[in-house]
This record gives sequence, structure tokens and C-alpha cells, in this order.
Amino acid sequence: MAVRENMKITIPQLRGGLAPFIAVIVVLALFPIIGVPRAWFLYLLLFFLYLTMANMWNLLAGYSGLISLCPAAFVGLAGYTMTVMTWLGLPYYAGIIPGGIVAALFAMLISIPVFRLKGIYFAIGTLVVPEILKFVFLLWKPVGGPLDGKGRGYTVLGVTEVSHSQVYWFALAIVIASIFLMRYILRSKLGRGLAAIRDNDSTAASCGINVFNLKLYSFVIAAFVTGIAGTIFYIYQGFIEPASAFGIQWLITIMLATIIGGEGTEEGPIVGTIIVVFLYFLLARYAEISLIIQGIILVAIMLLAPQGIMGSLRKTRTYRSLLQLAASSLKE
Amino acid sequence: MTILADLSMPLVMGILLGGLYAVIALGLSLVFGVVKEINIAHGDLVILGSYFGYVAMTIIGIDPILSLIIGGPLLFGFGFVIQKYLLNRAFKISMDATLIIAFGISIILQNTYQLIWTPFPRGLTTSYALKSFSAGPIRFPLVYLLNFIVAIVVMLFLREFLRRTYLGIAIRAAAQDRKAAHLMGINTDRVYSFTFAIAVAMAAIAGVFLGLTFPFTPISGLPFLIIALGVIVLGGLGSIAGTFVGGIAFGLAQTLGGYFFGVAAQMLVAYVMVLAVLAVIPRGIFGR
Repeated sequence: MAVRENMKITIPQLRGGLAPFIAVIVVLALFPIIGVPRAWFLYLLLFFLYLTMANMWNLLAGYSGLISLCPAAFVGLAGYTMTVMTWLGLPYYAGIIPGGIVAALFAMLISIPVFRLKGIYFAIGTLVVPEILKFVFLLWKPVGGPLDGKGRGYTVLGVTEVSHSQVYWFALAIVIASIFLMRYILRSKLGRGLAAIRDNDSTAASCGINVFNLKLYSFVIAAFVTGIAGTIFYIYQGFIEPASAFGIQWLITIMLATIIGGEGTEEGPIVGTIIVVFLYFLLARYAEISLIIQGIILVAIMLLAPQGIMGSLRKTRTYRSLLQLAASSLKE
Repeated sequence: MTILADLSMPLVMGILLGGLYAVIALGLSLVFGVVKEINIAHGDLVILGSYFGYVAMTIIGIDPILSLIIGGPLLFGFGFVIQKYLLNRAFKISMDATLIIAFGISIILQNTYQLIWTPFPRGLTTSYALKSFSAGPIRFPLVYLLNFIVAIVVMLFLREFLRRTYLGIAIRAAAQDRKAAHLMGINTDRVYSFTFAIAVAMAAIAGVFLGLTFPFTPISGLPFLIIALGVIVLGGLGSIAGTFVGGIAFGLAQTLGGYFFGVAAQMLVAYVMVLAVLAVIPRGIFGR
């Protein structure tokens, strides 16, 4: 019981039960039925998918001390798995879970070389991985059939009749799953072990925590969920090709979202992803300078508020007293 | 005998190509060895050198190699400013911060090139860029030999600089023990800024020779960064001799991979070799 009490202090929780959360989910789920504008769908869809990936990147970078620069590997592999399965005659939804599984298996495979590296070396090792996969998929044609588009691209078969609302619901489901998964992991033995490792891995190891295994678990879980989000993105896009599937753009977006919002905070990726998706559409008209501005924001945030928006907010007294106020009012 | 004769071509090409890779990786290796930061923007700074050579050649009309007389100091200053105003501050926040800021700089540079020079591939096509020379039965492009010579010259110059000058000794002291160097009256922040500036000036040299050898686009920085990372990881991070050996190993893996598995697979072979070496000896060939 004592441990439980301590945790409430170290991990600030917004109490008030699940009611407001469920209300938000229901409203979001009803959007396609009410019939909101088409553009909103795209905003929300990308928001859900990026948030899922950012959550998983946060699990690795913010809570496990693994600066993994290879989310594109998981996205691309899962996307290709799903696409290839549609070419083998299976329906598109049959490929979602296998996509995640392939990404998770791949994470286990690359953990053999990259987990021998620590800190910044780990970052370099993982940066090479998507580049390798890009070359593999430029050379290798998993299934036959005519080429579509540039490079070794494939269209995802049988998704032309998939309505936008179906993809939207899939994305909503995975984002909710990822948020609950984060909450669950951080309060489980795994999460507390990870926090101990992040703070000091030799101390954690001498306390009997299996450092290697815990890091591997979080890496594989992150790969699985990122992969699933990737398959849903490619169901929406209906087309996959190596250069973009394993491109650096995934990493830029996910990293930006997590860092702006606050790495190592649960609500950080949510705030960060809202800003990133907003920026994405705000800057769409100025495509050529959009990435320059994103780069400047990344540098500026890192120098001025290295903990991100939520991390910096947490430090201020107003936010803390607001939280206390909310907590006490709910108790009464 | 015929196999040997066939193999001599990729072998020699690989070693010569390794020279170019070593020059590209040298700046990255220096910054890593001294400042202990991975400069993710290094590839893009190399490409900045290539574009400077391009501008000098097409607009001013001077030879790209000669343009280094202006380009070198200019990029030296640019590097000094980046380290002084951005990375030195990030360094005090955390290791991750330097990585992420360098990543931000990389994004900014890439897209600025795209804005100024369009995404079309460019090349430094000088009169000598296409010349070749024969050694025995095979012919080699002249620039490859030039790259190799430049690699040796730059490497020896850097080595002597680090050994003999005051700044060089200060850099080595800061690399060995930042705190102790600071206590001995070395302004480590300044030393770091100079180190980074030297690395960027070397990136300018690498960029010009890269431009003479291969066509480049605004996004060529990333592949060459990954090659450079592979090279220094192979050779052992932060060692000059290691960087040179790593460069040659990478060049050989690429050309021999191309010889045995086809040109399309050559980079794949080289990358897989880097990961395999990492799995067996995580600290590289010359690693400490």
C-alpha cells in the first residue's frame, strides 16, 4: 500500500474517473455518422496515427532511455506486410495485426546488434536500420505483378471501396489502445522498472531489475503498436513505396510531436501532436518552407524549453496548484 | 588468375573510394572524439561544401578545388557559430538535446538547399572530373585517385595539427578530460567551438571532392551521413587512423558487394556489414 501512495505523488494523475474520457471518445467516434467536413477526417486521422506513434516513441525515449531513430522501419515493414497480404488475396483488415507482429519480430531481430550499444551509439545503430530496409525493398519484390508508381511501389488491393469512416474508426481504436497501454505500462512493474533504469541503470541492475529484458519488452511493444498505426496509414493512403515508407519524415514528425509536448510526460505527446498536425495543415500552403519552420521550432523548443510544453508547465506553480484544486474538489 | 584480374578492379576502386569516405567521416569523427556529440547535420554540412563549389564554379567561374580557399574559412566560421550559439548551450542541457538540435539543423539545411538550388541533382563537372588513367590492364577515374591523396593529406595535416599546435593540444586535453582541462585554464567551450569549426571546414573539403565524384541533391546528406557513421563505427569512434581504415573497409565492402551481388545491392552489403561488425565488436576495429 505504501508503494501505491508514493506512486500517486510521482505520477500525477488526473482523477475524476473515466467519464470525461469516455465522453470524448464517443463524440469522436460519432463524427463520421454526424457527417463532419472531409478535411476534418484527415486532420483527426493523422492526429490519431501520429499520436499513437508519438506515444510509443515517448515510451522508448522518455521512459526507457532508448533514443530510437527507427520508427520508420516499423511503419514501413508493417505497411508492406499488410500490402503484400492483400496481394495474396486476403482482405485488408486481415493484415493489420500481422503487420504489427512482423514489426515486433523485426524489433527482436535488430535488438541483437543494437542493444549492445548504449545511449548515443544506440541512436546511430537504429538510424541505419530504415536505410537498410529501404534498399531491401527497392531490390526485392515480395510478390509479382506490375509496378505501380515510382520505385518498387505497390497499391494496396481492395481498399478502394473502404470508406473513410472505417479507416477513421480503426485509427481511433488504435490511439485509444495506445493511450491506455501507456497508462497501464507506466503503472505496472514494467514501467516502474523502466523508470529505475532510465534514472540509473547500474543501480537498477543491482536492485535485481533485468535491464536488458525490460528494455527489449518496451522496444518490442513500441514496434508492435507503431507497426499497427503504420498499416492503418497505408490502408488510408492505398499505396506504398520504399522511399517514403522508410523515409526520415516519420521520425521527424514523431520526434517533433513528442519533444514539443514534453518527452517523458504522459500528456506531452497529445499536446505535441495537436501542434504538429495543426502546423502541418497551416504550413501546407507554404510547402517549401514548412520543414524549415519545423526544424527551427525543434531547435528553439530544445534550447528554450527542453522539457517541452507539458514538462515546463508541470514546473510552474500555477499548474501544480490547479491540479491540487481539481483533486480536492473531486474528493468532496 | 582471371578471378584475380577481375577482382583487382573492385579492390582498387574500393580502396580509393574509401579515401573519399574517410574525408567525409573525419569531421564527424573529430567532433565525436572531442565534443562527444554525434553531429547528425554533418552530412548536410558536407553537401553545403558541394553546393559552395557548385556556386563558385557556375556563377563566379573558378575551379571548385580553388574555391576552397574562400569556402573553407567561410564554413569554418559557420561551424564556429553553430557550436558556440546552439550546440554548446544544448550540451549543458543533456546529450539528447545536442542530438535533437543537430537533427533540427539538418532539417533546416536540407530544405534551405531545396529552396535555393531546387531538388535536381547537381555535379561539379570540371575538365578533369571525367578523365581517367590506366594502371596495368584497367582504367580508373582520376578523381578517385585525387580523393585518396586528399584523404591522406587532410589526415596527416589533422594529426600534426593536433600534436604540434597549442590549440591542437588543448583540443586533445579537452577530449581526454573536460573537467581537468577546464581546471588547467583551458576555455573548453571555445575549444569545442574551434573543434566543430575545423570539422565543418573539413566537411567543406569533403563536399567539393564528393561533388567531383558523385552527383548530389539537397537530400544527399543523409546517405553520406549514414556512410560516415558506418565508417567511424567500423574504425572505432574518435580515432583518426580508425576512420581511415574504416573508410577503406566500407569502400571495399561496397565495391566487392557490387562485384558479387550486382551494383544495385552494393550499399545494402556495406550497411549490413556495419550492423554485423557492431554486433560482433561494438567498439569497432580501433575502438578503445
